[in-house]
Amino acid sequence: MRWPRGVRARLAGALVLLVAATSIVLGVGATAFVDARLHQQALSDAAAQATFDLTVTVPGRQLPDEPTIDDVIRSGLTDTFRRRNVESLIDLGAGETVKSSDALSDLLQRLPPDVPARVGRGELAYAWLDVGGAPSLVVGGLAPSGDIAVYFVRDVAEISQAVGQLRIVMLAGAAVLILVALITARTLARGILAPIEEAGRTAERIERGDLLARVPVTSHDEFGTWADRFNRMTDTLAESIRRLEVAQHQNRRFVADVSHELRTPVTALVAEASILREHLDALPEDTRRTAELVVNDTGRLRDLVEELMELSRFDANAEEVTVEKVDLGKLIETVRAARSPKATFQAPAKPVVIDADPRRLERIIANFLDNAHEHADDKDVQIEVDPNPEDEIVIAVTDRGPGVPEDRLEMIFDRFTKVDPSRSGGSSGLGLAIAAEHAALMGGYLQAMNRDGGGLRLELILPKDVARSLPSGDAAAT
Amino acid sequence: MDATILLVEDDPSIREVTAIGLRNAGFTVEAADDGRAGLDRFGAGGIDLVLLDVMLPRMDGLEVAREIRRTSTVPIVMLTARADTIDVVVGLEAGADDYVRKPFEVPELVARVRAALRRGSGGPGEAAVDSTPLRLGPLLIDLQGRSVKRDGSDEEIQLTRTEFDLLVDLARHPGQVLGRDVLLDRIWGYDYLGDSRLVDVAIGRLRAKIETDPSAPELILTVRGAGYKAAR
Repeated sequence: MRWPRGVRARLAGALVLLVAATSIVLGVGATAFVDARLHQQALSDAAAQATFDLTVTVPGRQLPDEPTIDDVIRSGLTDTFRRRNVESLIDLGAGETVKSSDALSDLLQRLPPDVPARVGRGELAYAWLDVGGAPSLVVGGLAPSGDIAVYFVRDVAEISQAVGQLRIVMLAGAAVLILVALITARTLARGILAPIEEAGRTAERIERGDLLARVPVTSHDEFGTWADRFNRMTDTLAESIRRLEVAQHQNRRFVADVSHELRTPVTALVAEASILREHLDALPEDTRRTAELVVNDTGRLRDLVEELMELSRFDANAEEVTVEKVDLGKLIETVRAARSPKATFQAPAKPVVIDADPRRLERIIANFLDNAHEHADDKDVQIEVDPNPEDEIVIAVTDRGPGVPEDRLEMIFDRFTKVDPSRSGGSSGLGLAIAAEHAALMGGYLQAMNRDGGGLRLELILPKDVARSLPSGDAAAT
Repeated sequence: MDATILLVEDDPSIREVTAIGLRNAGFTVEAADDGRAGLDRFGAGGIDLVLLDVMLPRMDGLEVAREIRRTSTVPIVMLTARADTIDVVVGLEAGADDYVRKPFEVPELVARVRAALRRGSGGPGEAAVDSTPLRLGPLLIDLQGRSVKRDGSDEEIQLTRTEFDLLVDLARHPGQVLGRDVLLDRIWGYDYLGDSRLVDVAIGRLRAKIETDPSAPELILTVRGAGYKAAR
């Protein structure tokens, strides 16, 4: 489930980017606009006040022509302005000035040169300057008498303060917006992904074999259409599988019925052949061979029918495992002696006792031995069992026969597989398939491999958890 | 050996060839083709062993076995279609002493029949019948009269020959563990790997008859993973 995380991240990323970009553009724009407006406002206020002061306040003091510094100080003009929080500098020309504060001492030098020049021409002029450490607006103008110029200095720190506050507010707003964007992205993603995840779970159930699982169709959007199509596909699939299962069931049922029906005549045949075999010597030469063939073929027929019935029982799940303590060495030796006396088996020194179904173990080992008998003429057949099993128990039967072509190794546990029909003798080709079914019932499996130097190795592998080795002693006599 | 065998089998071919095989082996054969007829024939007497198919028309083999067991301890050998089903256990619990799996070869069947007949005729491996009675807890086992009585009761406990031989074998070796394979060999005459369920079911039937509480046996004890032993 990698890509839902991707969708969430991408959606969140896009929204946050959008909100951040919008916030920056709006914030920078708004701040600049407000900043400009506030400066303009301050300037027009200051200009209006300066005009008023130059045309009304200054002439009202009735300064003499060519006033001296003392005249100006006496007029108290700077104090008047100061009471309005406006510092001022009065330029009397020829380097003589009266100023309300020492901070203004180099003001005239620091003004851009065009300001005193324009003031000298009788215009109002202004400049934004740092005065005494505070951002200030300086507005200058010539008194109507034309002999003094007045420079008004206003502290405009509040403008930058206001802009700073605005900036903080804008940043906080942006942060809130980004948070909202994240939450929105999450909600959106959940809305989009929930049905996809639900569909994913449904697909998983179908994968596990629950063919009745369907994706809920809850919307009429693209996803709803998709879900509907998905469900229709599953319907078709389920129907096909059901049809196949029915066919397979009928097929198996037929095999079961056929072998069951064959059982009664085969029972009669086997009994009859066994009597015939006892009296072969009494038969005339020319019929004796035929009778012998009848006896042998009856045996083959019997084996085939029994094996088919055995497989039918597996197919019908009619088999049950009866687990008991089994001394592997003892069991293998018994099977070897009964089935394949020529085979060799070295029983482990310390008894290996496992929990298993002894009948099935016998059957598997016997079928392995039969296979070695048919395909390898009992050539150098050995049975091996791991004396110290760890995770799994391995029981192997090896021979020095022709082996099996590598590409057919996989198939030898399939039903009716005959690798070399000319050598299969009377075998039905079902023995190893049956062994595989028995192994599967006990939670194990079979494996086949060609040996170095020729020959086949068949292995039964049983899991350890149904089988544990016990210390020798009380376990041996089962 | 001039024993009379009642063969109950519905398939005419199997019935005929089985009868031929048994007659060849020296037995007298009485045949019946369904359960009811088989039971009727048994009631007429003179039968030494019953060979019983499980699947029979009118009255199935298990029911026939149960009916016979109500009145008789005659050996019963079942002919069963499959060795690994519950059929076998049910058949043994119904009172059969042994079973032969279909399809069977006639010599194999004859061997089973002989082994079943041998039981009760002195016991396998027992050359002379001991005249002193055996004792197992409260049980008094009269080997000559082949009867078992509980102390303080005059009533004879009805055991089949298999059950009797099993009891005697265990009682002769008190405290000694007898493995299932040993018992299969000694009582049933299997010299190859037999079906251990034969022993288990027969022990169960025996316990039901001799133990006070068959679910908590005191006379015949199970030794887990090994076999059975009689209490000392």
